[in-house]
Amino acid sequence: MDQIFGVSEGPRHGVSVVTVSGEVDVATAPAVRDCLDVVIERDDGMVVVDLLGVTFIDSTGLGVLIGARKRCADEDRELRVVVSEPRILKVFEITGLTELFTIHPSLDLALAA
Amino acid sequence: MSVTADPFRGDPDDPSAPPAAGVVELTVPVESDLLVLARLTISTVAARSSFDIEEIEDLRLAVDELCLSVLQGRRVGRLHLRFEGTPDQIEVWCRYDGTAEPADQPEGDADTDGLSGRILDALVDEHGPVTGDGWLGSRLCKRRVVHPD
Repeated sequence: MDQIFGVSEGPRHGVSVVTVSGEVDVATAPAVRDCLDVVIERDDGMVVVDLLGVTFIDSTGLGVLIGARKRCADEDRELRVVVSEPRILKVFEITGLTELFTIHPSLDLALAA
Repeated sequence: MSVTADPFRGDPDDPSAPPAAGVVELTVPVESDLLVLARLTISTVAARSSFDIEEIEDLRLAVDELCLSVLQGRRVGRLHLRFEGTPDQIEVWCRYDGTAEPADQPEGDADTDGLSGRILDALVDEHGPVTGDGWLGSRLCKRRVVHPD
């Protein structure tokens, strides 16, 4: 059974980290958008989106991430994405988003890079 | 590509006849948290047609995108899906029943139409709009990959 959707945020080594799990689709993407909006509005500096627990993502979820990246870029801030699941990485690859996002295979590497 | 045959008409001589073997039909209200039922159904149909795990995952995402492309942000009405699975291929038809107009993307989100198209291009063999008797929808077809022994 697929993991239940969840989204949370908090600092990690001084960096804003948004952690998402479960299936990100048209039903759950708004919660991801809301969380990212809060973090981007409230915090300064880099934002890391941890998708290690994500089991499914569609174009709606990708659209939210692209929108968040644009808001960060408008403020000269970086948005990094953490993905290790091949199935999720494949979605980024076939949509050409590996060219747009800085993708790291682990949270530690995303924070250290 | 546009297909004009109407897969939702069933047997014109006996409208109450059950679908043919290998055919599953699903009707859901347009509620975002019910799209999971379309993904669940295609998983079952594909598994029954002996598609492998990777192909099933591709089909889950493709059917999700097919539904999104038909809905175009609408939030009321009904979505009808017809899944036709054989050992060689799976075809899925999706049609919207309702009067709502397409809705704009949520503010701040990227336009997802292009993303949907790229996903479908990559994951299925054919996809495109279909027209029936008074309705518009979309169809996809994915042929099973035959692995050499």
